[in-house]
Amino acid sequence: MIRRPRLFALYFRLIGLFFFIALPSSSDAASVGFSRRIVSLAPSLTETVFALGFGDRLVGVTNHCDYPAEAKNLPKVGDFMSPSLEVIAAQRPDLVIGVVGAIDPAKAREMERLGLNVALLSLSTVSEILSSFKRIAALLGDAEAGERLVRKLTLQFDKVTNRVAHTPRRSTLMVVGLRPLVAVGGKNFLDELITLAGGANIARNAPQPWLNLPDEYVVAKAPQIIIEAGMGSDTAAPARHWSDLKSIPAVKERRVYTYNSDKILRPGPRIGDGLEELARLIHPECFDRADSAKGTRCEGA
Amino acid sequence: MNAIHAENLSFSYQDRPVLHGISLSVSCGEMVGILGPNGSGKTTLLKIFSGILRGIGEVRLKNKNIEKYNRPELSRLFAVVQQEPRVNFPYSAAEIVLMGRATYHSPLALETLHDLEIARTSMDRTDSLGFANRYLHELSGGEKQRVMIARALAQEPEILLLDEPSAFLDLKHQIQIFELLLRLNRERGLTIVAALHDLNVAALFFPRLVMLCNGRIHRDGAPSDVLTEKTIQDVYGVRVRIEYDSATKKPQLFIRPSLS
Amino acid sequence: MKVLDRKKMILVNSALLILLVLSAAACTLLGPVRIDLSEALKNIFSSTADAEILLRARLPRVLLGIAIGGGMAVCGVVLQALLANPLACPQMLGVSGGASLGGILGLIFFPNWLLPLAGGRLGEISWIPLAAFLGALFSMVLVYRFSLFHGRLHPYHILLSGVILNSFIAAVIMFLNSIVDFYQAQGLLFWLMGSLSTRAYVTVGFIWFYILLGFLWLWSKGLALNLITLGEDAAMHLGVEPGALQRQIFIASSLMIGAMVSVSGMIGFVGLMVPHVMRLLIGSDHRLLLPASFLAGGIFLCWADTLARVLLAPAELPVGIVTAFFGGPFFLFLLYREGRRSLAL
Repeated sequence: MIRRPRLFALYFRLIGLFFFIALPSSSDAASVGFSRRIVSLAPSLTETVFALGFGDRLVGVTNHCDYPAEAKNLPKVGDFMSPSLEVIAAQRPDLVIGVVGAIDPAKAREMERLGLNVALLSLSTVSEILSSFKRIAALLGDAEAGERLVRKLTLQFDKVTNRVAHTPRRSTLMVVGLRPLVAVGGKNFLDELITLAGGANIARNAPQPWLNLPDEYVVAKAPQIIIEAGMGSDTAAPARHWSDLKSIPAVKERRVYTYNSDKILRPGPRIGDGLEELARLIHPECFDRADSAKGTRCEGA
Repeated sequence: MNAIHAENLSFSYQDRPVLHGISLSVSCGEMVGILGPNGSGKTTLLKIFSGILRGIGEVRLKNKNIEKYNRPELSRLFAVVQQEPRVNFPYSAAEIVLMGRATYHSPLALETLHDLEIARTSMDRTDSLGFANRYLHELSGGEKQRVMIARALAQEPEILLLDEPSAFLDLKHQIQIFELLLRLNRERGLTIVAALHDLNVAALFFPRLVMLCNGRIHRDGAPSDVLTEKTIQDVYGVRVRIEYDSATKKPQLFIRPSLS
Repeated sequence: MKVLDRKKMILVNSALLILLVLSAAACTLLGPVRIDLSEALKNIFSSTADAEILLRARLPRVLLGIAIGGGMAVCGVVLQALLANPLACPQMLGVSGGASLGGILGLIFFPNWLLPLAGGRLGEISWIPLAAFLGALFSMVLVYRFSLFHGRLHPYHILLSGVILNSFIAAVIMFLNSIVDFYQAQGLLFWLMGSLSTRAYVTVGFIWFYILLGFLWLWSKGLALNLITLGEDAAMHLGVEPGALQRQIFIASSLMIGAMVSVSGMIGFVGLMVPHVMRLLIGSDHRLLLPASFLAGGIFLCWADTLARVLLAPAELPVGIVTAFFGGPFFLFLLYREGRRSLAL
C-alpha cells in the first residue's frame, strides 16, 4: 500500500516525458534545439538566411534561389510551388522553411508526416517580413542577428520616408503584367512600399492583394506614375501599352517605368534597397546625387 | 420505262455480305412489296435504291445511272419514308413536312404559298393536319409516321420508297396508309416500293411481291405465286396454311404453331 | 399552320437589333467609373479623361463583346446541328482548348529575340494571339483527321476526339500551371476564363470582319442546317450532300472559334446557352435561329462584360465567370418555365 503513490508518481512522470519528447510543436523548432541543416523553399527566405549570416547552414534551396551568388551553388530541391520531397528528405534537414500560401498545404503536411520539421512564415506585409527575420533568427539560435537585420532595414526605411516626407504624394499604379492587367492592390507589401516611398497606390482600397483592373479605372484615377514590375524583358512595352491614353498624367509626362527587380518583388532583406530605388522613381527630385548621403529633405513637387 | 432497274447488284457491310446478285426491275407506276425475314437485306436494298449506300453493280433510275444524278435531283425524283424517325430537335410537324419542299425553292428564300399549300394537302391526306403545330417528339409513333409520309408526299416524288411504313401504326391507321398508297398509285401513277413485314397486308395491297432470302431474290411475282406454304416454310421456317379470301381473291396466311 | 414566314423574320430580327444597339449604348455608358457624358462628347477628339474612357477604354470592349458573343452563339447553333446534339457547344470541339494552349505556350516561351523584329505599332495583333490561332488550327486538323471516314465527319467521332483532346490539353495546362511563376500564372487565367479587355480598334475591326463573314456564310446555309438536323440519311433524301456540308461547317466554325479565343481567351456558356434560349423563344428553324442567336449572343456578352467590370469594382472579373454564373441560373429558370417538352428531351 505504501508503494502505490510512488508508482503513480512514476507513471505521471513518464507520461509527462512522453508528451515532452514525442509531440514537439511542428511550427516552432525552438523546443528541440537550434537548426543546423536548413532547406529553404523560397528565394526570399534563402536571402534572409544569408543576410542573417547563416548561409552555411543551408543544405537545400529552390531552383529560383539565385541571391546571393553562393546560393546558386547550393543543392536544388525543386520549384518553390512543387518541391521534391525525396530530394528534401535526402538532405536530412532539421528545419524546412517555407512561405504560407506559396506551399501546397498537402505537401507541407506530407513533410511533417515524414518527420521533417516545417516552419511556415507569412510574408504578406512589411511587418510580417520584419518579424520573419526575427523568427528565423530564433530558429537558428541567434536572436540578436534578427534584431540587427530588423534595425538595418528600419533605418533604410526611415531614410527614405524622411526624404519624401515633405513632398505631396504621387498617385502611383504598379502592375505586374500587361495582358491581362494585374495591378497591386491593398493588403500587399508592395502597396506598403509604395506608400513608404511617397506614392499613393490608386488601387489601395481594393481588398485583394492583386487584381485585374479595367482600363477605364486607370484613366479615371489618373496616376502620375506607372511602374511595370513584372518579369517581362520588353522594357519598351509598358510605355507603348499606355501610349494611347494621353489623359493619364504618367503618360503625358513620360513617367511610365519598367522596374522589375527582385529587390522589391521578393519579400526579403533587400526590400530596403528596393524601397530606395522605388522612391527614386516616384520622387526623383528628392534624390539628388550630391545629397544622397546627407538625406536632404525636398520641398515642392 | 423502268423506274428502277438493278442489274446484278451485290453489297457487303465491311466483311459481311448482305446482297448477292440482285437483278430487279420496277416499271413506272408499279407497286411492289419487298418481303423477307430480318437480315435478308430489305433495308439495305432500299438504301441502295435511295442513294445512301453504293453497291457493286449498276442501279438505274429512269434509265439513268443513279450516280449521274445530284442530290437535289434525286430528292425530286423519289422520297423515302424511313423506319424509325429520330429527331433530336424541337420541330413542329408542319415544319418537318415543309422541309420536304426544300429543293423546290431557293435555299436563301423562305417557302412560297404554293409550298405551304402542298404541305397542307399532304398532311390532310395522311390525316395529320390536326397536329400540324405540335412538336414532333410529342406525337405517338403512329402520328410521327404519318407526318413522315406527309413529308414524303410533299416532295412530289415520282417514286416512293418506304421501309416498313406500318411498323408503329394501329390497325385503323395501317389500313388508312395502305389505302392511301394504293390510291396514289392508281390515281397518280406513283411508283411505290415498300419493305414489309406483315405478309397478309402485303398480299392485300401489293400487286407484286419480291421475297428476299439471305440476300437473294427467292421469288418475284404476284401474291399467289409468292405466298405459298412451301415458300413460307423455306424462307421463314414457319408452317402456315394459305387460304384465299373469297372477297379479295388474295392469299392470306394462317399460322400453325408447333405447340397448340 | 405556324411556320416561319417573312413577317416573323423581320419582326424578331428588328426587335433584337434594336435591343442590341440599346445594350451597346448602355454598356458604353455604364461602368465602375462615373463619367460626364456631355463633357465626354464635347471633347470627343481631344484627350480628356472622360472622352478617353468612353472612346478608348469602353467602346472597343463593347464592340468586341458583341462580335464574340454573336460569333460564339452562332458557332454553338451550327455545332449543335452538325453534331445532331442539342448539348454541343464550341468548347467541345477541342479547338478552343487548342487555342488556349497555344496562347499559354506563346506566353511562357515567348522568344525574346523576336522582339526587335516583331516590334512596332502592331498593337494587340502580336505573337501570342497568333500562337493561339496556330494552336486552334492544329486542334482542328487533329479532330478532323480522326473523324473523317469516307468523306463524312461522324458526329460521335467528332465528339469523342474533341473530348479526348480537351482532356489532354487540360492536363498539359495543369502541368504548365504548376511550373510557371506567379506572373505567368495570371496570364494563364486569362486564357482559361476570358477577358474582353482591349483598346485596339484594329483588332476589333479585324474580328468583326472575320466573324461577320463567317456568320453570313453560315446563315446562307440555314436551310441545309435544318435538313441535316434530321439525320444524315434524311438530309440526303431531302437533297443535301451531308459530307460536304459537314466539312465546310466544321472548318468554318473552327476557324471562327480559333480567332475568337485567340483574342479574348475561353468564354464559355454563350455557345451552349444562347442557341437554346432562342430555340425556346422562336423555334428551331435555322434561317431565323442563326441571326437571332447572333444578335442575342451579342447582347448577352455585352452585358456580361459590363457586370464583369462593375460587380467587384475596382477589380475586373474574368468575363467567363460572369457568363457561367448568371447564364446558368437564368437558363435553368427558362427550362423550368418552358418545361422539357420544348427541348425535345
